[in-house]
Amino acid sequence: MATEPATELTFGDPGVLAAEDARDRVAGLGPWRLALRRLKRNKVALAFGALFVLIVLLCLAAPLYADHVAHTDPFKNHLTDQINVGGKLTDVVAPDGIPIGPTWHGRFFLGADGNGRDIAVRLLYGGRTSLLIGAGAAIGTILLSILLGTIAGYFRGWPDTIVSRSLDILWAFPPLLLGLALGTALALGGLKIGPISIAGDSKLIPILIISVVQVPYMARPLRGQVLALREKEFVEAARSQGASSLQIMFSEILPNLVSTIVVFFPLMVVNAIGLEAALSFLGAGVRPPNPSWGTILGEGISRIVTAPHQTIVPGLMLVLTVLSLNVFGDGVRDAFDPRAKVRVDR
Amino acid sequence: MRRVGNVLAVVGLTAITGLGVAACGSSNKSSSGSSGTSGGGKTGGSVRIGSAFPDAYDPVMIQTTQANEALQGVYTGLVTYKHVSGAGQNDLIPGLAEAMPTVSSDGKTYTFKLRPGIKYSDGTPVKASDFEHTQQRLHYLGGPFASFTNVIAGMDAFAKAKKPDADISGITSDDATGTITVKLTKADTKFLFAIALVSGAPTPAAKSPYKATNDGTIPGAGPFQIAIQNPTRQFTLTKNPNFSVDGIPAPKVDKITVVKETVPKMTQDIINNKLDFMTEDPAGDDLPLVRAKYADRFRLAPNPPNTYWFFMNETTKPFDKLEARQAVNYAIDSRALARIFGGRLQPTCNFLPPGYAGNGYEKIDPCPYGDPNGPGDIAKAKQLVQQSGDAGMSVTVWGNNKDPRPAITDYLRDLLNQIGFKAKSKILDQQVYFGTVGLAKTKAQIGFTDWFSDFPHPADFFEPNASKAALASSPTFNFQFSSNPAVDAALTKLNPQDPKSVAAEWAKVDKAMIDNADVAVYGNELSTNFFSENIDIDNCNGIGPVYKTDWLQFCLK
Repeated sequence: MATEPATELTFGDPGVLAAEDARDRVAGLGPWRLALRRLKRNKVALAFGALFVLIVLLCLAAPLYADHVAHTDPFKNHLTDQINVGGKLTDVVAPDGIPIGPTWHGRFFLGADGNGRDIAVRLLYGGRTSLLIGAGAAIGTILLSILLGTIAGYFRGWPDTIVSRSLDILWAFPPLLLGLALGTALALGGLKIGPISIAGDSKLIPILIISVVQVPYMARPLRGQVLALREKEFVEAARSQGASSLQIMFSEILPNLVSTIVVFFPLMVVNAIGLEAALSFLGAGVRPPNPSWGTILGEGISRIVTAPHQTIVPGLMLVLTVLSLNVFGDGVRDAFDPRAKVRVDR
Repeated sequence: MRRVGNVLAVVGLTAITGLGVAACGSSNKSSSGSSGTSGGGKTGGSVRIGSAFPDAYDPVMIQTTQANEALQGVYTGLVTYKHVSGAGQNDLIPGLAEAMPTVSSDGKTYTFKLRPGIKYSDGTPVKASDFEHTQQRLHYLGGPFASFTNVIAGMDAFAKAKKPDADISGITSDDATGTITVKLTKADTKFLFAIALVSGAPTPAAKSPYKATNDGTIPGAGPFQIAIQNPTRQFTLTKNPNFSVDGIPAPKVDKITVVKETVPKMTQDIINNKLDFMTEDPAGDDLPLVRAKYADRFRLAPNPPNTYWFFMNETTKPFDKLEARQAVNYAIDSRALARIFGGRLQPTCNFLPPGYAGNGYEKIDPCPYGDPNGPGDIAKAKQLVQQSGDAGMSVTVWGNNKDPRPAITDYLRDLLNQIGFKAKSKILDQQVYFGTVGLAKTKAQIGFTDWFSDFPHPADFFEPNASKAALASSPTFNFQFSSNPAVDAALTKLNPQDPKSVAAEWAKVDKAMIDNADVAVYGNELSTNFFSENIDIDNCNGIGPVYKTDWLQFCLK
C-alpha cells in the first residue's frame, strides 16, 4: 500500500508550515501558543470546530425557539390537534397514527412524532441532553482515568496490578453491551451508594455509565505516560528535594499530562455522544419522555418509511456533531503533537 | 392471566371489519393441492403460518396466544369451545365428554361421562383417570393457569403433599364406565370455562410425565396432531387419524406448517403469498401499508377480548379522592389514544370488553364521563382537581417499555399536567413492570394496565383486577389496592350462576366500578388478521374471541 510520504491534512503547504514552525521555535514560543498557532493554520479543523459551536449554540437556544417560534415545549402532546398548512387544516397525528411531516414553518418545522410532539423542539432539547451527557461523561472519564492511570503508573507494584487487571476486566466487555446491562439494571431502582442516591431516570445515570465504560480507553495510555514520566530527571530532582508522592503527582506529573488530556477530551466527548445515542436508542440511556437524539431515533425507527423525518433528522444531527467534533479533535491532536499526523494513502 | 401481545383469547365478539372478497391471481403460492368442498370452503391442501412461536408445547405449561392458537386443535378437553368463526366461539360444547356435565343442585359437583371408544393421536384410549392426571401435572408443574382450577376440592391437600401423583380428593374417576366426578369447594361456574382451555385437556398418563415436556410427544385427542421439527423454528399440524368427535369438525386442510420468522419478514411473505397467515400484527410502517393496499385480505377484530385502562391507586394521594379519579376519567381523550395505537383502538368506558355483548351483557350507555369517541372535558377535570384539594401535587405515571406503552404513558403524563397535577413518568422494562406496580410498597399512584380475557366469564376480568380477594396476592393485579363493595358482592353472588343468565347483573357491577371511577378505561385493542390470497377468507377465516383464529376453520380457495 502506501509507501510514499504521508501527507498532513491541512490546506497549508508542508514546506511553508515547516518553515513557520522553525520560525516559531526561534521566537521561543511555549507549547500552548505553538499548538494554537498550528490549530489556526488547520482551516478544516477550524471550520468543523465552528460547526460544532454552531450546533451547541442552536441547542442552547432551544427554549427561545420553543417559546417564540414553535409555541410548544418538548413534552407537550398534540395528538388530536390540527394546524394550518398551506391554508388547509391538517392533523398533527392522523387517525391511523402517522404524524405530520416537516411543515417548514414555525410550528412543526421538522414534523411531529407519534405523540404529536414537535420534533424540531425535541431535537434542540435533545441536543442539550446529548451534549450534556457527552461532555459530562467525558469529564467523568478523564477524572477517573487520571486518578487510576496516575496511581497505577506512579506507584507500580500491586496498585498497578489491581488497577490494570480491573481495567482489563472492564475492557473485556464491549462498551455497548456493558452500558446496556448497567443502564437496564440501574433504570429501576437508580443508584444508591452510601448517602448518595441517584434516581433511575436521572441523566446522571447515563453520564456515570458512559464515564465508567470508557475509562480503560484513556486510563491505559495515561498510565503508560506516567510510567515514563516518573523516570524523568525532573521527577528525580523533585524526589531528591524531599517532595512527597502526592506533591510530585500534582506538581510534576499532572502538568505533563495536560496536553494528552486536551487531545483526548474531544474524542471522549464524541465517543460519549455516540454511546449515549446507542444506549438511548436501545432504551437503556436517557429515560423517556426526556428527549435525546438517541431516544428520538428510537421512537421513530418503526415509522422509517411513513415518517422518515423522525429518524433522518436526529441521525443527521448526530452525524454532524460527531463529525465536527472528530475533525476538530484531530486538529487539536495535530496541533499538540505534530508527529501524530492524519495520514492519507496516495 | 394473559397479557397483551402474548395472550390467549377467550371471550367473544364479532366486530370483524372490512369483509371483502380476496383478490385473485397470485404467484409464488405456498399452498398446495386441494380437493372437494365442505360447507363453506374447500377441504385438503396445506397452509403455512408465520408465528412468533409458542412459549411451550406442553399443554399444561402454555400461556401465550401463539401457543393457544397452535395447540387448541391438538388438545381437546372434556368440554370445549365451539369451533366456528365469530361470537359462537364463546359457547361451551361437549368435547371428550359425551354431553355437558350434570351439575348438582348446589352447583358444587360436576359429573362427566367420556365418549366411548375415543383415542389419543397415538392410539392410546382416553381414560377417565387422565383428567385427574392432567390436573396433577398442571398443579405440580405450576402451570400458568393452575389457579383456575384451585376451586376443585382437595387441591390444598394436593399442594401440601408435594407429590405429583398424590390424590386430588375432589376428583373421582371410573375408567370402566368413563365417569368423572369433580367436587368443588364452592359453586363456581368459572370451573367449566377453565377446563375447556388447552391446559385442562386430558392427556394419557403413560405419555405425559410429571415434568414439562416440550418435544411435542404428549399426544392429544384433538382434531390435529403435532410434530415438531425444531422447537424454535418449525412444527407441523396434521390430521389426527384417530379423531372422531361429533360436534367438533375435522380440520379442513390436511397440513399446517408453522415457521418462525420476524414480523416484517412474515408480513412480506404474506404479501407475496409465501405464507398464508401470521399470528402477529404487522408492525410499524407495514400496518398502514397492509391496511391500505391489502384490505381485501386483512381483518381487524378485538380478539382476544381486552380492555385498556389507567389504574389509580386508591390508597395513595391524590387518587384516594373520588374527584381526582373522576378528573382523569373526564380528561381522557380516547381519540388521542387511538392514534397512539395506530387506529387499532375502539374507544369505550366499559370495563368489560364488548365481547360480552354476545352473552347478553349491556354496555354502559351513556358513559358518565362523556362520549368516549369525543374529546375529553379538560375544564371539568381541572375543576375536579381543584375541588380535590390536591392541585399541583407530584404524580408519577408508571408505564413499561413495550411499544406503544411508552407513548401511552407519556400521553397520561401530559394529560395530568394539563389538569393541574405535576406529573412525571417512570418507564420500566415490561418483564418487571406488573410485578413492581403490583407491590403495595411500590405505592404506584397511576399508570398503564390492560387485561386480556382468559375465558368468557365476566369474573375473569373482575376477580383478578378489582376484587378484595386479589389483594391477598403479592404482587397483585388489583393495582387500585382497594375493592369496590359491589364487585366483591357480585363475585360472591354471581359466580355460581351461568354468566349469560345474569349478564345484566354483571353489567351493573361494571357500571358501579366506572361510576366510582375505580379505573379510567379508554379502549379495546383491535388485533389484526392478515391472510394470503390463497385462503378463502369469506368462508373460513376462523376469527373469533376464544381461539383468536381457529385453524380448524382455515381452508383454501
